[in-house]
Amino acid sequence: MFAQGACDISTESQSAFAVELRGITKRFPGVVANSDVNVGVRGGTVHALVGENGAGKSTLMKILYGMQRPDEGTILINGEPVELHSPADAIDAGIGMVHQHFMLADNLTVLENVVLGNEPRAGLGLDFSAARSKIRDISARYGLGVDPDRLVDELGVGERQRVEILKVLYRGARILILDEPTAVLVPQEVDELFGNLRELKAEGLTLLFISHKLDEVLSVADDITVMRRGTTVRSVAPGEVTARQLAELMVGSALPVPELRDSTVTDTPVLEVAGLTVQAPDGRTVLAEMSFTIHAGEVLGVAGVEGNGQAELVEALMGIRTPASGRISLLGKDITKLSTRRRRSAGVGYIPEDRHRQGVLLESTLWENRILGHQTSRPSVRGPLLDRAGARADTERIVEEYDVRTPGIDVVAGALSGGNQQKLIVGREMSGRPVLLIASHPTRGVDVGAQAAIWEQIRKARAEHLAVLLISADLDELIGMSDSLSVILRGRLVAEYDPGAVTPEQLGSAMTGAAGEVS
Amino acid sequence: MGRLSPRAIYLGLAAPAGALVFALLVCALILSVTGHPPLEVAEAMVGSLERPRTAANSLNSATTYYLSAVAVAIGFKMRLFNIGVDGQYRLAAMLAAALAGTSFMDALPSFLRIAMTIAAAMLVGAVWAGIAGFLKVTRGVSEVISTIMLNAVATALVAFLLNPDRLAVTVAGSNNIGTPTISEGGRVPGFGYPGSSSDVFGLIVLAALVGVVYWFMLNRTRFGFDLKATGQSESAAVASGVNVKKMVLASMLLSGAAAGLVGMPQLLGASYSYALDFPAGIGFTGIAIALLGRNHPVGMAFAALLWGTLDQTSNVLDLSGVPKEIVIIMQGVIVLSVVIAYELMRRYRLRLEQRDVGRALGTAREEVHQ
Amino acid sequence: MRHMRGGTLAAIAMAGVLALAGCGSDGGEGGDTGSGEGSGSEALKIGLAYDIGGRGDQSFNDSAARGLDKAKGEFGVEATELEATQGETDAQKEDRLRQLAEGGYNTVIAVGFAYAAPLGAVAADYPDVKFAIVDDFTEGTDTGPNIANLTFAEHEGSFLVGAAAALKSESGNVGFVGGVNTPLIQKFEAGYKAGVKAVKPDATVQVKYLTQPPDFGGFNDPAKGETAANGMLDAGADVVYAAAGGSGSGVFRAAKDKGAKGIGVDSDQYNQPALADVKDVIMTSMVKNVDTAVYDFIKSVSEGNFQAGQQVYDLESGGVEYSTSGGMIDDITPQLEEYKQQIISGEIEVPSTT
Repeated sequence: MFAQGACDISTESQSAFAVELRGITKRFPGVVANSDVNVGVRGGTVHALVGENGAGKSTLMKILYGMQRPDEGTILINGEPVELHSPADAIDAGIGMVHQHFMLADNLTVLENVVLGNEPRAGLGLDFSAARSKIRDISARYGLGVDPDRLVDELGVGERQRVEILKVLYRGARILILDEPTAVLVPQEVDELFGNLRELKAEGLTLLFISHKLDEVLSVADDITVMRRGTTVRSVAPGEVTARQLAELMVGSALPVPELRDSTVTDTPVLEVAGLTVQAPDGRTVLAEMSFTIHAGEVLGVAGVEGNGQAELVEALMGIRTPASGRISLLGKDITKLSTRRRRSAGVGYIPEDRHRQGVLLESTLWENRILGHQTSRPSVRGPLLDRAGARADTERIVEEYDVRTPGIDVVAGALSGGNQQKLIVGREMSGRPVLLIASHPTRGVDVGAQAAIWEQIRKARAEHLAVLLISADLDELIGMSDSLSVILRGRLVAEYDPGAVTPEQLGSAMTGAAGEVS
Repeated sequence: MGRLSPRAIYLGLAAPAGALVFALLVCALILSVTGHPPLEVAEAMVGSLERPRTAANSLNSATTYYLSAVAVAIGFKMRLFNIGVDGQYRLAAMLAAALAGTSFMDALPSFLRIAMTIAAAMLVGAVWAGIAGFLKVTRGVSEVISTIMLNAVATALVAFLLNPDRLAVTVAGSNNIGTPTISEGGRVPGFGYPGSSSDVFGLIVLAALVGVVYWFMLNRTRFGFDLKATGQSESAAVASGVNVKKMVLASMLLSGAAAGLVGMPQLLGASYSYALDFPAGIGFTGIAIALLGRNHPVGMAFAALLWGTLDQTSNVLDLSGVPKEIVIIMQGVIVLSVVIAYELMRRYRLRLEQRDVGRALGTAREEVHQ
Repeated sequence: MRHMRGGTLAAIAMAGVLALAGCGSDGGEGGDTGSGEGSGSEALKIGLAYDIGGRGDQSFNDSAARGLDKAKGEFGVEATELEATQGETDAQKEDRLRQLAEGGYNTVIAVGFAYAAPLGAVAADYPDVKFAIVDDFTEGTDTGPNIANLTFAEHEGSFLVGAAAALKSESGNVGFVGGVNTPLIQKFEAGYKAGVKAVKPDATVQVKYLTQPPDFGGFNDPAKGETAANGMLDAGADVVYAAAGGSGSGVFRAAKDKGAKGIGVDSDQYNQPALADVKDVIMTSMVKNVDTAVYDFIKSVSEGNFQAGQQVYDLESGGVEYSTSGGMIDDITPQLEEYKQQIISGEIEVPSTT
């Protein structure tokens, strides 16, 4: 139905492309490489590059920004073939990169950050006044609203991002690469950013926008190129596709549907939380008087924009963070004062939001990672001693059952792709036969097959009376996998929904506080 | 540690071997630039090693260095930098020597005396390191700072106690001052080395035992697992239920207890008293050896032997007119190049493994395509 | 452990010092078990083992080196010098001496008390080699028929400079800066205090050691010396004795800044070129002639007069002395000479421990 391939576009008119990538191939050990990638970006447009995590988007952008050399293929800028050996070459060619993680020094002003590495010299000294007026100029022209003399430390996330953009423009870029720019923004900031992007486009700049958030892509892009498993599979116009069709293009098959069959909810309370309040080290209340109950066989989904207290809730439940007040009970027993280890031994499984930070030891082998978090239970430990044979055997089982793609269990976890690490974590936590599973974004960054497998495992365990706290940014997952659904906003559970009746749109507006307090 | 595949062994040895060769080349270069034929110097050093005495002394130095390295390595495994091994072992040796030299000990059976001396040393070392651990856990004081300070405090404390009014005795005519000499029953007899007038320390057995215990703790126990996990990623360890504060305190105590042993072979096998000339600075040598041996129980043994041998053969350099500082340069170059080689090897290894995984993924991908 | 000797000495200054110290004296008295059979015919091969720091430490190793150099020039002997490293064990020291003895060195000198036990062990195995140890005489450890123990009466010399300090002090408050807190330096302190009290029984003596063993940095840290001296001067002292090797220059600097006086150590520091800009505050120095002792020992062996046992370098033999360069204590020399005679005659017995 959308038969326009990237190559087809390129035949329209050679010179119309500000950036053209032809047959780019990059062999790269461990992760999906780029093979025969073809993209044509029309000048003065916003071009979105979409694909699942690990589809090769980042590699491609690194190639375009001169951070990596392609093994094969050519890069054309405004129709001229170029050789990019370093980011400096890319900057000379008019390409700028706005990184996902800001590269700004907090204790310097905007002006100093912008000129850093590109200082305007006047004889031996620095000519800041020229730089200052140039920054004011750029800021005004593109409506960025950046004051050159403010300390970066004082700026919000959205403003910092605009400083990053300004930095790139200051260096004369006409082609901007934005790597997942919305990942760190709240919805209002996303709208502002898109406003800025339209301004930039109107001024004739070319924008290459990387994302996997399809709604955003559909709203801002003029052209969309889809990548899958390292190669470009389609180029489409946003008017031609729905988000779901785009998603199916990304994964290459019909999407698995998260859904629960019959209700398995019992009336045995497993986790009871009453009046849980958590304060940040600076005294700010990040979780306020939260109360809820999860029963055996029940999945409680929590929806919310990131940073509204989800991480604090999870850490308080795991005993990593000490609550200021409130009570947490597991199977009727007060566990508020128990250590993380005792809670885990009591049957709490944990799939952390950030697997590199909390889920795996990157420098340890897979079987050692099997032991992590289960240092007190069989089969990996016997008394104070490790049971290496037991741990190894169980790791083999997890690798088999969860389809962890690895040549063996003696490789270090860091050698695996993120999705495979996640499968190992899920397998490990499920094999502890938990009574309660705390799952933050359990399917983030895993491929479709694994996603289906993880959902199936949760369903199976739920049927065997597992209680689950599910936190996810994927609203379809939340709606499909939850028995009950709450929305978290500024540290409070503000609304409850029936997952059978709610739509993602309703949830979305509740998450931003737009919907008022619904019950 | 994974299973020992031939590749793992080969890669494990390649880094130190390569680094050693590189260090030797650098030293050869320095020697030739300063006008000393490198081959002759090497010959002199190897030749001196053929003297049984030098060989026995090398073993003895290695014994002490190894204990020090283990003490440092226990901290390293947790990313704790125990720079205070030096102060810990000196204070421990001094107090243990004072205890062992008291006259009431003469009545006790030899084994008990030795055991008490060693236990006292471990206790003192553990307490001294434990102070740094306690400060880190309760007040967040960096152990680097506190152990350095505690080294200075230990120095002052030893100087204060090493006084005829307190724990020391003086001998007429001597400008030395030390604790009372430990009598025969409190000493650890050495092993005779054929052709050598100096014995090999009896406590070399203790060093070997410490190595085995260290290995077992790290690789076979839950405690060791928690220790390594905390060292690799504190946040992941916390999420897995490790009480990091408890681990910090425990590993500082263990590290200090091991540090307490450092002075024992010398004290009970050769000096029999803690005096002004008791060897100092071994705690710092231990840091170098732990780095060189990569905190590995066997690796550190080789590193300690290498270090001890270099130290002992350096005397002969002076005799043949080569400044023996060349040995210190050599030791420095070895540590530097080994550390760099390990880092390069670590990256290379990760890439190899990623390639393996990539290959596994590649086949899987082809299946999908079919 | 280490003696102290600050700064480098030019050869001319050297000669002056030697003359002052009465180097004509042939090396003390009191040899007990001496069996000095002649070895003069045999060519001398000298091995000299320094303590940590070795030649060039600006302190007492250097002093020993000067003695060796003088002997080399005079007798044309062959010599090899080895030095100790930080943190080494007795076994390593023993090895050093043993390698010398094995290597055909028939005259071996060990500098510093740390060599006591190793030297005793090696000497027993090489009865034909003549050994000397500087600064130690421990019966049963480093004594024997082929060992000469070269020791100094630092307390006696320190008594005299202590007396000088008390005579010159107007405030009745004087200072003592010790390099490292060892029994050897405590000997300087004991003599100094006794000297002060002999003149002014109610005088105050402030005492400060710069470092504690095993940190021997106090012998070569002028900044520490200056800080310590400043503290004493602020607390009312007007004369400070620097028994701290190379750290002494800091002490003199402080004294000069505050208009006080300093007392040097080991050699006549007034004449040391490195101290030229502060020499006008160095009213006297407690001279300890390690170089003389080393030279005397080599001379005795080369002439076949080897004496085993303790050779005491004291006031009587000129092994220790007070210097008068600069003329700042000319007015009190009669009193000092009187004290000196009383010490030599035994009328005053100077304590060697504090």
